[in-house]
Formats: sequence, structure tokens, C-alpha cells
Amino acid sequence: MFRRPSSAPSSADDFSAEALQFLQPLFATAMRLTRNRADAEDLVQDTYVKAFRHSAQFKRGTNLRAWLYTILHNTWRNRRRDASRDAVDVDSEQVEQLAAGGIGNEQIDTPERILMRSTLDADLQAALDHLPEAFREAVWLRDVEEFTYAEIAEMLNVPIGTVMSRISRGRRMLYEKLSAPAAPVAAGAAGGRR
Amino acid sequence: MKPTCRRICDLLTQYADGTLAAEQRAEVQRHLDACPPCRVVAGKECGARQLLRACAGRLRAEQVPPALRSRCQELSRQSATSQLWSRRAVRLAVAAVLIVFTGSMLSVVTRHSDALLAAQLTADHVKCFTLFGHQEGRSLDATQAQQMLQEQFGIDVHVPPSSASGGLELVDARRCLYAEGRIPHLMYQAKGQDISLFVLEGESRAPAEFTAFGHHTRIWSRGDRTFVLITPAAEAPAAAARYVAEEAR
Repeated sequence: MFRRPSSAPSSADDFSAEALQFLQPLFATAMRLTRNRADAEDLVQDTYVKAFRHSAQFKRGTNLRAWLYTILHNTWRNRRRDASRDAVDVDSEQVEQLAAGGIGNEQIDTPERILMRSTLDADLQAALDHLPEAFREAVWLRDVEEFTYAEIAEMLNVPIGTVMSRISRGRRMLYEKLSAPAAPVAAGAAGGRR
Repeated sequence: MKPTCRRICDLLTQYADGTLAAEQRAEVQRHLDACPPCRVVAGKECGARQLLRACAGRLRAEQVPPALRSRCQELSRQSATSQLWSRRAVRLAVAAVLIVFTGSMLSVVTRHSDALLAAQLTADHVKCFTLFGHQEGRSLDATQAQQMLQEQFGIDVHVPPSSASGGLELVDARRCLYAEGRIPHLMYQAKGQDISLFVLEGESRAPAEFTAFGHHTRIWSRGDRTFVLITPAAEAPAAAARYVAEEAR
């Protein structure tokens, strides 16, 4: 509802106002990226600190929304690199194989059935959160935020071909997650049989 | 994987996105018509894409913590060198507040709309039976279920027990996924058909009936307790459903 065709902010406070319009989707993106409310808040705040500080570098006539998402993802990458804790190589061969394997051998549900079962957004969120980060961010940016492959490639600092293969694998993994018989129901929402 | 399949698979992302040129699209379509394994892969990609597009609005609508919002606004004030907020910014802030407000109004409306309640609980009915309901020989004692409702929800509901007439069987009593697990869901089966009874405590609604998503939903209240009964629309186990509705108190 806030998306505008890359109009150029005309002054500093217009820039701020426009940038703040994207607070909610940026926060939602940060939540899926960090999977943690406190980290998401930090990440969004850092993003705005940088955006306001470097607003002069923003090229008028280009897409402010994409620019903000690029800052968000750069900030997250740097933070992950600095922290070096749980240094997960998201593109490890294992994950690739996991994503590529088992295609076409199993029974799968129709989209209608999954749609019915997944009406509860919590389940979809849980399934998204379960994807390895590289796939999760690519799928999110494409299917939820509707960025182009080129925009996503710039945000994630990877080639377009990689973006497309991550979207593809991410989608399939998500679908399999949702259609698996033992699909995890959002934590805490379901009680067992008493 | 055959070379052709490999090449087609590389195009599936754009196929699902609808960004392929007509000619390539037709080529992919031809291959999918002839190749079941690739069709399965395409089904997954398109399915996930459709699902995410359908839910995108709600996924993006993550509630921004008010403190974060004020911190970011403060940052923008600091950065706007010596300039006060423009009128436009104020207008935008008001718009943002209105949107948050309308958003919360919407959820109130949802709580009161029978049709939406019916749709949501129908989804829950299908989901719970798919995930938990179809295990052979499952049945649950009604007193046990009553006890569970008492302990878990603090409510005293008369749970209709299994009954020979109509071949009705109580198979499970669960915490419903709807409303963050605050309402109980009683799951029955009769002649291979799934029946759900939901109990909404502290709510009174006028009687209503809906048919949607291949299911029939009946809503009624007794005092300030609302019951929602869901049965398949086709070949509904009418006698069993009537029995459940009469017995539920």
C-alpha cells in the first residue's frame, strides 16, 4: 500500500518520511531474517541509522525501498560475519543436496489442500523460519516483497543465477515442509491429545 | 536427471513467476505435459509461490514495536538538519497511525464475523483431521474429554459421548489452533466422515449456517457459550451431527 514507483524524495525530511514508510515491511523482513524480536529491532534501527546518515548517497530516481533492503541485508551480513558465532555455511553441499534430493519420488498434496491447511499464517511462518537462511531470504524477497531478481542479487551480493536457484530450491523445500505428514504446527499453538 | 529436464528445471522459477517469454513458456508447458517428474517439481514451485503471494500481505504485517517506531522517528528528526517535520511527514505519520488503527479494527471485525469464523474453523477442522485425526482405532472417553476441558480451559462443557446410533465416535479433544489455542476442539467421526465441534466460551451469537470449502458450518449459542459444528457438505452424517448438536451443553 506504501509502494511507490521509485519517486525521488525532494528534501531531507521528505527522505526521512519516505524511508519511515517502510518500517513495517522492513521489520517483518528482519523478523524472518533474525528469527528473534530483539535482533530484528536492532537490525531495523541500525538500518535507519545508516540510511539517514548516508541519505546524501542515495541516488534520486532510484528505488528507495530496494536501497533500504540492501542496507538491511548488508548490515545483517556484517553482523553475522563479526559475530562468527554459529558460523553456518548456508550453501554447504549438504544443504544443496538436501534441497535437490528426493524430487518426484514422493506423494505430494495439491496446492488447494496445502492452502486449506496453511490458512494459519503461523504455520507458514514456522515453515519459512525452518528454511536455511540463504533460501529463506531469497524466497522472502521474491515472493513476499516482490523484488526483481536483479534487485535481490544486489541486496544479497550474489549473482542472479544464484538468486534464482535459491528461490527455486527454497520454494520446493517450503512446499515439502508444508506438505509433509508430520508438518510441525506452530510451537505452543497445539496441545497434544489429553 | 535428463539434460532436457535439467534445462527445463532451470526455467521453473521464471515459469512460476510468470516472467518467461511466451515462446519459452510454451516450451516449458509442453515438456511438463509430457514429463511427470518435472511436473511434480513445477507443482511445488508454483504452489509455494501462490501460497506466499496469497499470504504476503499478512506476512508483511508484522506489528512494529511502538518503541522501535519512536526510536526510528527520533533518528529521522536528528538527521533532518535543523528542519522541523514537514507537514507531509506529519500527514504520513497520521496515515500510519490510521492504518495501524484500521488494522486492529479489522481483527475486531473478524472476531464478530460469522462467515470468517466459519472459514477459519473449517480450515482448522481440515487441518486437525489431516494431521491428527485419521489414526485407526482412536477413540476417546467423553468424561476424559470433559476433564481435559475443565483442566485446560476451566470450562464445564457436556461433551457428547460416542454413540451407537449414527455410528458416532469421539476421536480426539484438542486445543484449537484458532485464537492462539484458547478454544477447545472436539473431533468426531461418523461413517468415515469427520465432524468437529468447537466451543467458544463467553460469546453469544445469533444462529447461523454456512457452506464453504466443501463443508457445512452451523453456529449457535446457549447462554454465553457458542458452539460451532462442522461437517462435510456432501454426504453429511446428518443423524450424528444432530445428536452432537442436541447433546452439547
